[in-house]
Amino acid sequence: MEVIKLEEVSFSYNGVPALRDISFSFNKGDFIGVVGPNGSGKSTLLKIIDGILIPEKGNVLFKGKPVKSYTRKNLAQEIALVPQNFNLDFSFTVGEVVKMGRYSRRGGRDLIFNLSNLLDKLEISHLEKRLFPQLSGGEKQMVVLAQALAQQPELLLLDEPASHLDISHQLKLFQLLKQVNQEGVTIFCVIHDLNLALLYFGKLLLLSEGRLVSFGQAEDVLNSKKVEVIYGVKTFVHRHAGRIFLTFSPRYTGEEKAKIHVVCGGGTGSFLIRKLVDLGFQVSVGAINALDTDEVTGRELGLSMAVEAPFTAITKEVFEENLRLMEQADLVIFTDVPLGFGNIKNLEAIKEAVKMGKLVWVIEGIEKRDFTGRAKEIISNLPGISYFSKIEEMVEKLRKWEK
Amino acid sequence: MWLEKMSSESRLKVIFIISILLFFFLSFSVSILLGPSPLSLREMKKALLKGPSTSTAASTIFWQIRLPRVLLAFLIGASLSLAGAILQGLFLNPLADPYVTGVSSGAALGATFAFFFHLPPIPWLSFFAFIGGFFTLIFVYFLARRKGIVNIYLLLLGGVAVSAFFSSLIAVLMVKAGKDLHALVFWLMGSFSGRSWADVKLSLFAFPLLFASFFFVDELNIFLQGEERALELGVEVEKVKKILFFIASSLTAVAVAAAGIIGFIGLVVPHISRLILGPDHRKVFILSIFLGASVMGLSDLCARVIFAPSEMPVGVVTSFFGAPFFLYLLRKKRSFSGSY
Repeated sequence: MEVIKLEEVSFSYNGVPALRDISFSFNKGDFIGVVGPNGSGKSTLLKIIDGILIPEKGNVLFKGKPVKSYTRKNLAQEIALVPQNFNLDFSFTVGEVVKMGRYSRRGGRDLIFNLSNLLDKLEISHLEKRLFPQLSGGEKQMVVLAQALAQQPELLLLDEPASHLDISHQLKLFQLLKQVNQEGVTIFCVIHDLNLALLYFGKLLLLSEGRLVSFGQAEDVLNSKKVEVIYGVKTFVHRHAGRIFLTFSPRYTGEEKAKIHVVCGGGTGSFLIRKLVDLGFQVSVGAINALDTDEVTGRELGLSMAVEAPFTAITKEVFEENLRLMEQADLVIFTDVPLGFGNIKNLEAIKEAVKMGKLVWVIEGIEKRDFTGRAKEIISNLPGISYFSKIEEMVEKLRKWEK
Repeated sequence: MWLEKMSSESRLKVIFIISILLFFFLSFSVSILLGPSPLSLREMKKALLKGPSTSTAASTIFWQIRLPRVLLAFLIGASLSLAGAILQGLFLNPLADPYVTGVSSGAALGATFAFFFHLPPIPWLSFFAFIGGFFTLIFVYFLARRKGIVNIYLLLLGGVAVSAFFSSLIAVLMVKAGKDLHALVFWLMGSFSGRSWADVKLSLFAFPLLFASFFFVDELNIFLQGEERALELGVEVEKVKKILFFIASSLTAVAVAAAGIIGFIGLVVPHISRLILGPDHRKVFILSIFLGASVMGLSDLCARVIFAPSEMPVGVVTSFFGAPFFLYLLRKKRSFSGSY
């Protein structure tokens, strides 16, 4: 059954548009997250659904009837809102504040309400006699949630309920919301943190500049392209331990930065690669085995790489691919990856890079991490290599580096 | 004893209620007994038992002079305090008192007209005062209304502006009043001097308003979370604001019509009540009514005994004692201003 249906809803604050032609609907029992940049209209959308704001154009229907046809009292029995900002400087006890949520059901005997059960459920029973203004930000947020749940609504709207909560309370809150949802309450929750949104919500609604960009499965809504366009940051999708999460880099500013080729492996390059991407360099990687930690990092960041099959020594083809990538680079970096018979060809590639006249930076102590005994012979008499003791030193130098 | 069986918290509550009631009855009795010509307890008992028909001096003083005057003072004290409590809650502003809405100035202007045209105080002066107050209420209300929503700040500022304008009109009339000036000034500063049963009857209109306000204590408590939150919790905000504004303004108009402009009670008593019992409007209202009534009774007593046989305006007494006491409270309890 459709709980909420919006039909081409527009709203503006004194002529500044906040929502434009929004249409969507959701059903009883849904568990939906709402995401979007600051000022995209998320809070406005909640207030429109709750009838606090009246749309300039379009209709908002709750259970098939216009929201504005309900009295405030009747609507408060059906829809509860947990606001983002909640101020109450008056010394009411937590119990009294929560009971204010019963206002719309005053005098009614249709539903059983037990204050201590509710407080138990939210694990705030110990706060019942405390004065509200003396609580911490996180505690206040839980109390306001309790006040909203005291309305015993069918639809619960939340505006960033986790913004003041530490990680353990965040987990508890979302578990609680899932539980409330299983008891039949529809949840529509504005959430700022995209990774939290991916973690807890199967269905997401993405807003941008007052427009509905996308509404559907979380993974489809928050794909890296959409996030990049809407939030204006470079976005990378990672999969780890069965979960999807996003990381971000500052967006490419249009200024041409140098191309850097990183020769690495075994996780020695991951930190550097990410750092270089964040700094705005164009990064390539090679030669490297598939499924190597550095290879996974490079793949998730969408870099060009010379990749060999897993657990295989570098073949001629990949070696040559590596050289091609080096040729395009302004700087070649060789990390402190240990050298065995599988990847000794990478050192030969470094030699080629020097011959090409490339700038080459290497972490010192090559002979110490060489297990083939050939390293010394390969790089002896090679002028033009700059040695560094740590990756961090390279990063520091690159920060100041201009093409 | 039953008192010992209770928890310390509820014991404190009982003791508190008893002492408030005691204070109330004590103030009432003292106000009846004392005056330019004091009554003894025995005289009062006799007058009470024999009823108002006898014509002894004590009986006349009791039935025709003291009782109506004290009843009126108590009723007006309760009305002003409650009006202040309502408006402070409605405006979420610690400076609100019954006079901020401009209703009192409207009432005063009405009364000044009555003076000016030498109309008899009962019923015309009271009637003019009430009409003046009532029309100001309507005027300020519509001034603050935009697209069906009453803006609380416009209400407050509009009230202040209307108040200032009416005060200037009153000043003009005062200049023109000539020999009536003294009586007019005395009336404007607030007094229960010479009030009779007729005044009490006119003021009984305040009674249903006092009771009606208790239907809205939950709403006022929720308003403390802001108007938007109140909407979310299911309060018909505009309707409730309209009714409460009407109740508070009418209480003020009744009070001004009966006794002129008596300052400070409507500001201080709700504050003290809130200080003692916390922000819950149910408690604040009850205490404001009892405390406001008692304090007004005692103030009127002071007004008539201090310079007996001549009288002071009661507004002078309330401000003289009220203001320093209020300052003392402000200094003593820092959280005071924060709690409102």
